[in-house]
Amino acid sequence: MHREIRDRIEDVLTGSQALARPAQFAEGSSSDAVGEHLAQCDECRTEVQGMQEQKALLRELRAPDDFAADLRPGFYARVMERIEAEGPISIWNLFIESAFGRRIALASLALALLIGVYVVTSERSADDSTIALQSSQVTTEQTIVAGEDAPAREITQVDQSQSDQSSEDAVLANLVTYREQ
Amino acid sequence: MDASITTLPFPAVGEGTRARTRVDHKTSEEAALVRRVQARDEMAFREVVERYQSKVFSIIFGILRNRNDAEDIAQQVFAKVYFSIKSFDFRSSLLTWVYKITVNECYDYLRKKRVRKLVYESDFSREDAQRMETSEPAVDGSVPADTRLAQRDLILKLLSKVSEEERSLILLKEVEGHSVEELAGMTGLNENTIKVKLFRTRQKLLRAAGRLTRTR
Repeated sequence: MHREIRDRIEDVLTGSQALARPAQFAEGSSSDAVGEHLAQCDECRTEVQGMQEQKALLRELRAPDDFAADLRPGFYARVMERIEAEGPISIWNLFIESAFGRRIALASLALALLIGVYVVTSERSADDSTIALQSSQVTTEQTIVAGEDAPAREITQVDQSQSDQSSEDAVLANLVTYREQ
Repeated sequence: MDASITTLPFPAVGEGTRARTRVDHKTSEEAALVRRVQARDEMAFREVVERYQSKVFSIIFGILRNRNDAEDIAQQVFAKVYFSIKSFDFRSSLLTWVYKITVNECYDYLRKKRVRKLVYESDFSREDAQRMETSEPAVDGSVPADTRLAQRDLILKLLSKVSEEERSLILLKEVEGHSVEELAGMTGLNENTIKVKLFRTRQKLLRAAGRLTRTR
């Protein structure tokens, strides 16, 4: 839609004669440019026509002129009853009652489950690698000590008691123990 | 309706679109009433219900054409008003706020009942029912009942494709017949913003209609 029409679309839609008789709409009015443009531009005319059809459709949602609410007496009392029955809206109701909320709740649960599985498996593999590292240290140290004609069995026991130390500390401790013997 | 519509930038401010002074919804008599409801004054709430009950009924009936469920939905609307009034921020009029809640409740109802099924269960008039049974065109020049039902079905579907705010605004304009100036006063927005929002909504509705036509 061109700017001439776009800027005045509400006025154009209110003046229904603009489409039916574009020439007359333009005649002697302040909307000369609008009328002329609509008479010449098929694109704008089609779009304005579509919007006017919409406008007519929307009027179908108007209650009839003779509509009377015909409320049964005691409407306020029934509203209060409902309020008392429902109680204040809980934040949990938003998740339980709406489809979107339920989806968010399910997605959050799935995410929490995934994170939980990841944490458990990563901790387990970290433990496994620590144990593997420590056992490899023991083997290496046994080999070193055995190569120097030392009682390998005793040294291994000492070393096992220090299994919570870092690898460098463990090697140093072994060497110190060996020299003392 | 033509579906080949391009998205356009904001319409420029036209000659007659100067922004008017905003209505102050914080100091009005209505604001005092709302503050009393927020403080859980039951007499004030009763006044709100009595002031707006006919309007709420008429909005619901206009959208659903179903008297049987209108009261139930109206009760739900006022229950929502009661529970949510603390979040009312006085930027718009109370009527605009109640109107939005009412339209949303109608759409909730439609979602639950499924639009197509509901439309054919509506309690349309006896004359309409007779016309539908005999499949005769209306003799008084009015639109036949089945066409009207189809049109209502279509516009309700199209309105479900736009946001709640856009839906309320276009309904206030076209169904309630408020002018752009009145809408600006009611919503606390300036006239140009109202025009922009209405234009975009109309474009969205046209596009949705185009898509719907293509899929049929």
